[in-house]
Amino acid sequence: MSLSRNVLAIIALMLIIWASLLLVSYVAAITILYTLEFPGDTLISIARVILGLLIAGAWVLGWYKLTRLWLYKILLSRRREI
Amino acid sequence: MLEAVVSGLATFFLAPAAIALGRRLGITGVDVHKPWKPVVPKTGGLAIALGAAAGMLTGAYISGIRVFAPIILSCLIAAAIGFIEDLREEINPRLKPLLLVFASLPILAFEAYYPRPLIPFLGRARLYKVYPVLVMASYPIVCNAVNSVDVLNGSALLTSIPFFIMSAAIFYLRGDYHLLLLSLIFLAAAAAMLPYNMYPAKTFIGNSGSLFLGAGMTSIAVVGSIEVAAIIALIPQIMNEMYVLFSIRGIRSAKGVGKRPVVLEDGALTASRELDAPITLLRMICAGIRVDERRAVYAMALISAFAALLGFLTNLLLGG
Repeated sequence: MSLSRNVLAIIALMLIIWASLLLVSYVAAITILYTLEFPGDTLISIARVILGLLIAGAWVLGWYKLTRLWLYKILLSRRREI
Repeated sequence: MLEAVVSGLATFFLAPAAIALGRRLGITGVDVHKPWKPVVPKTGGLAIALGAAAGMLTGAYISGIRVFAPIILSCLIAAAIGFIEDLREEINPRLKPLLLVFASLPILAFEAYYPRPLIPFLGRARLYKVYPVLVMASYPIVCNAVNSVDVLNGSALLTSIPFFIMSAAIFYLRGDYHLLLLSLIFLAAAAAMLPYNMYPAKTFIGNSGSLFLGAGMTSIAVVGSIEVAAIIALIPQIMNEMYVLFSIRGIRSAKGVGKRPVVLEDGALTASRELDAPITLLRMICAGIRVDERRAVYAMALISAFAALLGFLTNLLLGG
């Protein structure tokens, strides 16, 4: 049963990561990146790519922090079961 | 379908020869998660690479599917880099990602990509100049990610198979027969190696096998334009590599880190409780419990299958 609980906890973490990807993509689409949609303007295109990479980087960092928290505060915080 | 059958049969029947070659040349590794520490050939990847290549060559030269040519080259370059590593132990961990960039070159040279990936809510992004750079970066990332989950008997294969099933389903729904065949070729090769690589392993797939599979997944994602679905389906693998990189602070060999993520106790795996041990998927699975190797691998496969389902659903949402 404990293995099932760990697997479910990891699946829950994956769901949060997946949902956060969609959320970040949605927020970026309707706010920042929408305002930078000018095809043909090189500077604006570069700005859009840099912003996209920064957002993706921030998402990955958030993903890692959340996973640390998940491992140490949820999965490893329980008493050891044999 | 002939191509997938060729791939599966060639892999299955080449595996004993690959195992014998590994024993003869001493290309072996110690199975550290068994109390009796058996020495196992790590040449199973050669059978996967040759088997899948045979399937793709059948497609390229008998069925005339031109897109297979750059994919064969990409995957074989990755497998060759992995085989060098299997032969002479680890390549410098900073040099290896640079070498794996070469695996992207056939795809770029043949222009077998569409530089407008479908991003959720954004639609098709225009990445004409950036996309080739992203393709170059994606091969080292995915190849190393697949390599990083090859820690237990059958783990790399069982976590890769859901990806190929997902891509096959996407291409089937899209009606893209060539890419469906490509996914089935990789799926058949991976499935055919299972009897040799599952617990207790008769052979490891080695770095040649894991890098070959990683290059195959990247090629399928790039050529099939299913980048976002692929990233989501590969969350367990990417997460595993990312955690290792973050937790050992930089590109270093995980083998060089003193603290191990899991320890073996009375033949069962359990997670290290030390704060500075690398965070891996296996460590999370074994957190606070003792798990035997087989059940740990099934847990990894289940997690990968769920990620592949999410990737598939995302692709449906995107209308890809």
